[in-house]
Amino acid sequence: MKIHKPATLQEAAGLLAADDSAQCIAGGATLVAMMNSGVVEPSALISLANISGLNEVTKASDGSVIIGAATKHKTVAAFDSFSGAQNIVGIAAGKIAHPPIRNMGTIGGSVAVGDPAADYPTALLAAEATFEIVGPAGSRSIPADEFFDGFLSTALAEAELVQSIQLPAGPENAVAVYDKIAKIDGDIAIMSVAVVMASSGDRCDYLRVAVGGCGPTPYRVAEAEVKFINGDLDVAIELLVAASDPMSDVRGSADYRRKVLPRVLRRALITAQQMGGGE
Amino acid sequence: MTEVLDTIGQRVTRLEGKDKASGRAQYTDDMTLPGMLYGAITGSPHAHARILSYDISAALEVPGVKAIITGDDYDWFRSGGHVKDETLLAKGKVRYIGEPVAAVAARTQKAAEEAARLIQVEYEELEAVLSIDDAMNPDLPIIHEEFSTYQMKVTDLEVSGNECWATSAEEGDIDAAWAECDAVVEETFETQAQHHLYLEPASALVDVDANGKVTIWGPNQGVHFIQTRVADYLGLPLTKVRAISPTVGGGFGGRAGPHVQPITAALALKTGKPVKITLSRAMDFETCRSRHPSRVRMKIGAKKDGTFVAQEAELLFDGGSFMDETPAVASFGLMMARGPYRIPNFRGSARAFYTNKLRAGSFRGFGNPQTTIARECLIDRLAQALDLSPMAVRQKNAMVAGDKWLGGQEVPACGFAQCLEEVKKAADLDKAQLPPPAPGKKRGFGFSGFAHISSFLASGASVQLREDGTITMNTGGIEIGQGASTILAQICAEALKLPIEDINITEPDTDTTPYNYKSVGSRTTYTTGRAVKAAAEDVADQIIEHAAAMLDCDPAQLTLISGGQVGVKADVTDSPLVNRTITFKEASLRAHYGVGGPIIGTHTFVFDGPPFDREGSKMKAVVFGNMGAYIYGVQGAAVDVDEVTGQVEVVKAWAAADVGRAINPTNIEGQIQGGFAQGMGYALFEEMVWDNGRLVNPTLMEYKVPGVKEVPKVQTIIVEDPEPGGPFGAKGVGEPAMVGVAPAIANAIDDAIGDRPNSLPMTPEKVLDVLDPS
Ligand SMILES: Cc1cc2nc3c(=O)[nH]c(=O)nc-3n(C[C@H](O)[C@H](O)[C@H](O)COP(=O)(O)OP(=O)(O)OC[C@H]3O[C@@H](n4cnc5c(N)ncnc54)[C@H](O)[C@@H]3O)c2cc1C
Repeated sequence: MKIHKPATLQEAAGLLAADDSAQCIAGGATLVAMMNSGVVEPSALISLANISGLNEVTKASDGSVIIGAATKHKTVAAFDSFSGAQNIVGIAAGKIAHPPIRNMGTIGGSVAVGDPAADYPTALLAAEATFEIVGPAGSRSIPADEFFDGFLSTALAEAELVQSIQLPAGPENAVAVYDKIAKIDGDIAIMSVAVVMASSGDRCDYLRVAVGGCGPTPYRVAEAEVKFINGDLDVAIELLVAASDPMSDVRGSADYRRKVLPRVLRRALITAQQMGGGE
Repeated sequence: MTEVLDTIGQRVTRLEGKDKASGRAQYTDDMTLPGMLYGAITGSPHAHARILSYDISAALEVPGVKAIITGDDYDWFRSGGHVKDETLLAKGKVRYIGEPVAAVAARTQKAAEEAARLIQVEYEELEAVLSIDDAMNPDLPIIHEEFSTYQMKVTDLEVSGNECWATSAEEGDIDAAWAECDAVVEETFETQAQHHLYLEPASALVDVDANGKVTIWGPNQGVHFIQTRVADYLGLPLTKVRAISPTVGGGFGGRAGPHVQPITAALALKTGKPVKITLSRAMDFETCRSRHPSRVRMKIGAKKDGTFVAQEAELLFDGGSFMDETPAVASFGLMMARGPYRIPNFRGSARAFYTNKLRAGSFRGFGNPQTTIARECLIDRLAQALDLSPMAVRQKNAMVAGDKWLGGQEVPACGFAQCLEEVKKAADLDKAQLPPPAPGKKRGFGFSGFAHISSFLASGASVQLREDGTITMNTGGIEIGQGASTILAQICAEALKLPIEDINITEPDTDTTPYNYKSVGSRTTYTTGRAVKAAAEDVADQIIEHAAAMLDCDPAQLTLISGGQVGVKADVTDSPLVNRTITFKEASLRAHYGVGGPIIGTHTFVFDGPPFDREGSKMKAVVFGNMGAYIYGVQGAAVDVDEVTGQVEVVKAWAAADVGRAINPTNIEGQIQGGFAQGMGYALFEEMVWDNGRLVNPTLMEYKVPGVKEVPKVQTIIVEDPEPGGPFGAKGVGEPAMVGVAPAIANAIDDAIGDRPNSLPMTPEKVLDVLDPS
């Protein structure tokens, strides 16, 4: 098997376009496991390791944060210049697996898998992240809720790669709560809830709630967020539960997910309120 | 005891620890032989089907393929643990998904695997029998149509259909006894299949010589058993099979029988070349063995003051496709059902069934965890019904030395009451000191009492004095990570008053090693240890005889002195003798080159405890004639139940074990802590799940065991009530370390939220259904 180490992402996209069964490899945490179990048998691997600038987190002057696609989970978890709403991404990064995997896996690899129970997708949705994508035909950028378009599926076209993920500044005073329910520490979530909440005075005036692991993609329900801001916690929860479409797997049954979702939503929302997200 | 001990009771560092920790230890898959071929196995895609034909033509075309074997290549040699119901490869029928139907040996692993994939087998599918209920359904097909022709040792077995074992026992007058009870509780519990999850997957390397003798390396729990089983499968005499134990990456009962050794040996014989097979984790999960899933109905009655009066137990075990150790697990589960309590009236039965799933076999606890969860949860219920403390009820009914085990054997020593007392004390202290549960969580405390055995069947040992005065010890005790080598070396060192460094341990090898049944049943310390001690004492006697001849005195005046010397006893005042010593080396040189011949001590025995009273206890189809050296234990857990999610966190645990005599306290603590982790996995997380006969979670991505964040601090308490007959009073600890964990956690959940699931594992989903049944 050939291993390419291109110097730019454009070059990587070109290599991918030229070989149907080549695969891009970032941390390898997921890809190598898939190769070992025979799920994929790539003809060549295109490594992102030599592409400069791809593994950095930077804070822009407008307060937004740009995370390079090849940034490791541990780097994101340790980044100390997130503000307000952005913190949800750092918290989620720290809850992915355990240190060896956080030291290996990257944000680009994680989102490219499109696992609805993974931690980043849910957090990125709540942070209203934008994905910068590079392909043979050039670059484009799409919002998180369009990026995750189905179970183990993303909006990435053939030979397209994630270059970076941008987190808008969001409300400066927002608090972030990430409630991950997993069988054991470090396992993929059974389900998770990401909450970003801000208030003026003691009144909540900003809310983003994303639910992971309870449907083919992580999701938000804008109407539920409005209801909550208007003081209707129960209806907000009902709307979010109504939008769920969980399945059964070895981590938990669909019934459990349906049953636990409103309970975890309530806990996460109340916790955020108590942290200063507003009454 | 006034005896002064040098090595017993010391925290001797694991003898094999450095090799393992430094990565130097050679496991089977690390080994290669010149000209070695690689093997691969074709598994059945069906849970239950008739084999109509094989087509191996495409597979034979794969470059590098040297041999292919199928069920057609073998006569009807059958093998099995208690009942000979297994063949080397599926013959005529397949009985579970993954069952080996053919195997390939090739120059490379890749070629072997490709060829294995290309083997075509034509099947006629049959309806599958996938649960205990299925197995009791007379409309479903019989899995072993020729059951009545299978060889077995027991003659009083009465079963039909897919039922493969039925055993029972009864004492007292149970029917009359219920009327004497002030409270009676009854419930049914279900337990799941658990995987052993030894770190080293199944692996075998087999060499063959020009005379057709095969030599087998592979993870195992008894070289003699592997030798016998392989010989059985292949129709060979024992002279043609040699089994050697390399470093073993864990056992937990999973290696108590053969795995890929027989097939690897068949390929080696067919090709005349060494062959190695190592299974992937998934194939190991799919084809080795599991813990028996069970359904246990139990009923216990007591008087107002908590005195137990009567107990009834009905155990149903799902044995999977082949019997393996099922008869023993069913028998043992039954014999453990009453536990270490005085209950005068008892009736119990255990039935086991064939199903079209992986065979269930030996697994740490061996039928005991399945009955202990039922009994210990019911004891808490009974205490609640009588408004008594569960701990007080256990204390009131605890058996003591001189009481009889189920089956009528008197127990000569019993530290159970002390275990109860010590755990109660430790937990009471912690109750006041543990930080309170986080908001949204409820705290509960739960306890369990239990016992296990540490001796049955036979063991031998040989101990040789070498020319330099050091020892070479040879036993069939297998080091599976439990510390057997260190413990046995400590026993040998103590018996000879030598430093542990002077004991060299040989690798178990059927060509040279004295017989040992297996390293199972928590029996190694007591049983193999007893053989070692007696063999070492034989050597000591011979050394003293030489020394007496050299000093020209009566051997009775002499004794061993620490450090490999013989001197006169303290009470000897015969002046020319006082202060004279003979070193082991001097005695050994005399034996080697002068008089008498090299000194070798040997000892073998078969467990000599009293036999069960089969008539008095109305025992039927119990496969054990006797067993004993009972080990007692008590475990406790504090849990926090998350009221939102149903998740259970174990925040602290206490575990006391009566080990008779702690030969190596560190090792015992390790066993208790490791046993707790495995028991906790059984209680809360682990479950092999089959969907239509296919195992859906055969990898570590899906099969979850507790990790460092889940396992709490386990406070270990060692109780020492010396076992007469045990080496220096010692008995085992390996299995009981996990037996009581699930009921302690279940009772703690019950204490926290007022009820608990009746089935294992107690997943968040089941706990949440208890918290919120809507
Ligand atoms: C034991 C274990 C536990 C885990 N637990 C968790 C968990 O708790 N939570 C969680 O969220 N995740 C978990 N994961 C997944 C983990 O986060 C992976 O690191 C991540 O999914 C993949 O990142 P990677 O860089 O290793 O990607 P790789 O394995 O290198 O690649 C994965 C896929 O992404 C593609 N890819 C990689 N980079 C890009 C890019 N820039 N653009 C487009 N496609 C790309 C690859 O071609 C490949 O198809 C776990 C993984 C393991 C092995």
